Amino acid sequence: MKKVFIVLGFVSALLAVVLAVTPLSNLAIAPIIVAFLCGLIVVLISKRDKKKTKTIQYIFLLIIISLSLTIYKNLFSTAELGDTEQLEQRAEENLEDSKDILEDIEIDDDF
Amino acid sequence: MKNFLIIFLAFFSSLAWAQNTTIANGEKLVYSASYNMSGLMTDIAQVTMETSEVKTSKNTLMRLKCSAATYSKMDNFFKIRDLYESYVHPKTLTPYLYKRDISEGGYYKFMQYTYDHKSNLVKSLKRKKKNNGEIWDENKSIKISTNTKDIVSTLYHIRNLDIDKANVGDQQNFIVLFDNKETIVTVQLIGKETLSTKIGNKLCYKLALSIKGSDVLKGNNANLLWLTADANKTPVYAKFKIPVGNGELKLISASGLKN
Repeated sequence: MKKVFIVLGFVSALLAVVLAVTPLSNLAIAPIIVAFLCGLIVVLISKRDKKKTKTIQYIFLLIIISLSLTIYKNLFSTAELGDTEQLEQRAEENLEDSKDILEDIEIDDDF
Repeated sequence: MKNFLIIFLAFFSSLAWAQNTTIANGEKLVYSASYNMSGLMTDIAQVTMETSEVKTSKNTLMRLKCSAATYSKMDNFFKIRDLYESYVHPKTLTPYLYKRDISEGGYYKFMQYTYDHKSNLVKSLKRKKKNNGEIWDENKSIKISTNTKDIVSTLYHIRNLDIDKANVGDQQNFIVLFDNKETIVTVQLIGKETLSTKIGNKLCYKLALSIKGSDVLKGNNANLLWLTADANKTPVYAKFKIPVGNGELKLISASGLKN
């Protein structure tokens, strides 16, 4: 039982770190919660059995890393627009093409 | 029965197509689109809605341009550069030309509708990119109802409605041509709410949007649009629920408003 929670906690914590590094850092919240709960259960089981498990430290270390990264990104990264040069060029080309098409269209004030 | 419904809708809609008193050339609305990730709203893209004047040798039209571009942090993951345009009559907002030029994570599609309102026909051009990079065109002629419009001009038409005369619970149907298919979009006035926005605290009309016979928009009253309850009827906030999650659109800046 304890091993299941250790593996689950460790995998979740690793996943949280990976997600925290990517632009989708907010997605790391769910695995952080899972890893934290698993870590907590492992701590309780270890206390009950009076045994020390070193893996818990690693799980919590990974949780702290991913949580710090997620919070840092949320607080300090500002949303900047990517390169829109190509989009503006397409808009300009479309406008010129539209003007040619609209030249041939009869516009009726009744519609 | 179906034909009767279409005629009824067309007649009902035509009553609402009043003169344009809301939208001016040179209007620019900028929005930030967010998506719910693990319960946290994450900014993913910027949406811009612009209007400008377009002159041909015979006519003057209004260009309604909507563009969407993902923020740089999202570009490596899923790059979106979408462009939606509609060329409308400046007084009646009747569309004459519509273009949809989308580029989403390597997927490219171009749609063009040229309206012929006298014969209720739309000449449609679909351009797609094959996997080998080859581009192919598909031309079609589509019979439309009297008041069928594209998605962009419908959005602006909603803004031009006399919402102040409507009662809470009133609804109206719009026929929207999207991907060569006519779809009925229902807009219902749910009530009035005061929202804190980038252009100040505004009393807004709260509208619920739904699409008949489609799963694109999910939930009951889960797709909402807030328009300022003034002469500009500026869209300040929108909430949407789609099959892969939910998100929102928030107004960042507004300039060139008519009133």
